[in-house]
Amino acid sequence: MPVAAVLEPYVYEGGVHKHGLIIELLEDLGGYLVQSTPAATEINLVMLIPRKDVPLMEELAKKILGKLTRAPLTGTEIAVVSPTLAYHHLPHSACDVAEHLRRDGANTNMLGLARGMGRRVALSQDYERRLINEHDIAVYSFGNFSDCIINKKPKLFSGVDVPIVATGGPDLSTDDVEGADVYVGGIGRVSHRLRNEGEMDRLDVLNKTVGEVVDKLREEISRDPLAVLPARVMKEIKEQVPEINDVLTPAPITLQLDGTRVKLPFGQFHEKLEQLELDENISLSDVANIMPSKMKDYILIKIRRRSETGFTV
Amino acid sequence: MATLEKFVVETTVEEEAAPYRKIVSDIISDLGMAGRIAKIKVAIRPEDSLFQLVAVVRGVLPQVILKDFAEIQKGGSEGEILITISVEKHLPRLLQMLWDRYGRDSLEQPDRWTISLIVDNPEEEIGSLENLVVDDPRRTLKSNLADMAIRVAPEGFRVRYHSLNGNDFIFVASEDTMQKEWIDEAHTMLEELKGDDASGSSA
Repeated sequence: MPVAAVLEPYVYEGGVHKHGLIIELLEDLGGYLVQSTPAATEINLVMLIPRKDVPLMEELAKKILGKLTRAPLTGTEIAVVSPTLAYHHLPHSACDVAEHLRRDGANTNMLGLARGMGRRVALSQDYERRLINEHDIAVYSFGNFSDCIINKKPKLFSGVDVPIVATGGPDLSTDDVEGADVYVGGIGRVSHRLRNEGEMDRLDVLNKTVGEVVDKLREEISRDPLAVLPARVMKEIKEQVPEINDVLTPAPITLQLDGTRVKLPFGQFHEKLEQLELDENISLSDVANIMPSKMKDYILIKIRRRSETGFTV
Repeated sequence: MATLEKFVVETTVEEEAAPYRKIVSDIISDLGMAGRIAKIKVAIRPEDSLFQLVAVVRGVLPQVILKDFAEIQKGGSEGEILITISVEKHLPRLLQMLWDRYGRDSLEQPDRWTISLIVDNPEEEIGSLENLVVDDPRRTLKSNLADMAIRVAPEGFRVRYHSLNGNDFIFVASEDTMQKEWIDEAHTMLEELKGDDASGSSA
């Protein structure tokens, strides 16, 4: 069954005090804790909650003076691609874009191309394209000139198979930007933090647009469902591979729409993951492809569809 | 940015000038150069991969010589020179220069206003220290202007020309081979900017 059909993505923001009650209730309800980010006395919990039980969670959140908001991008891993990592593109606006996407629950990776700058000279490398293709969606952050966006930059899309959302300064239609699935204007090159009203509005539009792309992907998955939910794989890894608890990255297991990225060394752990028991006589390797990720030496798990395995767990 | 007498940004598509103007003003503010620039004009033609920036800077401050802000005399011990400063803001740069010249072991700072220096030949050294150039605002300005221009220009435009002649600064950048007419054009832009009949509307 697809994630969207039964589980609703939510983020809890509140104090550390008594937040354990939220986690306990979530476990009792059969939901999944996707990510927990403590910051001093505050905590952010990204969760997948069974749809019918959301009011229960809301009630508890209210009782302990926290806030529960829907985070539609939960369970997605998005690449925010910038032409390079120079100060012309970062931290504004590419980092602002990534930060705003994270507010809706997405896991983002900033990806600066080695030679993406300029017009005639702009190009992407095979390694970079493969890395982008490991994500659910790629958001490209472009500049302010329509001539560049229309005529020169789309060559950076070649070889990218995942849906592409392009952002730039001018208001163009998606048809003008060849190769992009959607174009969002009003977010071009800036040298200041995007924080005034108009700018925040554009970021909201971007989140909404990315949300629509995610919905389409989820719908496509629901037609031929995954053999096992990525969140279920995450839960089993947490229980059966205790070493994951020693990983210090913010999201040791990053959920994707059709898989997960496990931030453990491939050589040392891939066999353990292949043998991960999901059900009686069903191990993870029966329902998923476990491969080395292009990101560091992490492990990438891509779950097969029901049409391929013939069953769901 | 109110201190700029003229601030013009021109682009092929008129509407694209305003966001670029914001980039220029942000970078000028970031580098603390708003007070140093009197007039500036930026012209960008993306279709030709061309970026031109011309600016007129305000009068540059004179060099800062050590004797302007410090008293230099022989100290009590043998070979000792005592430097008593009256302006603290030049101290980091002065210390760096003295460290480079005499080594860290020869220097002591008994208090924040005093530097004690041990040298072999104090009389001779005092003479040369008095005229030591501690700060050269013109040199700093030149490097700041180049830094500003590189930050403002599109990143891929790595073929660059720049010149600072008196108070006039010209910067041209492209990703293609530099053409003489682009530089000449920039010189004409500068003359227009300096004159009263500066063309182009303030975007």
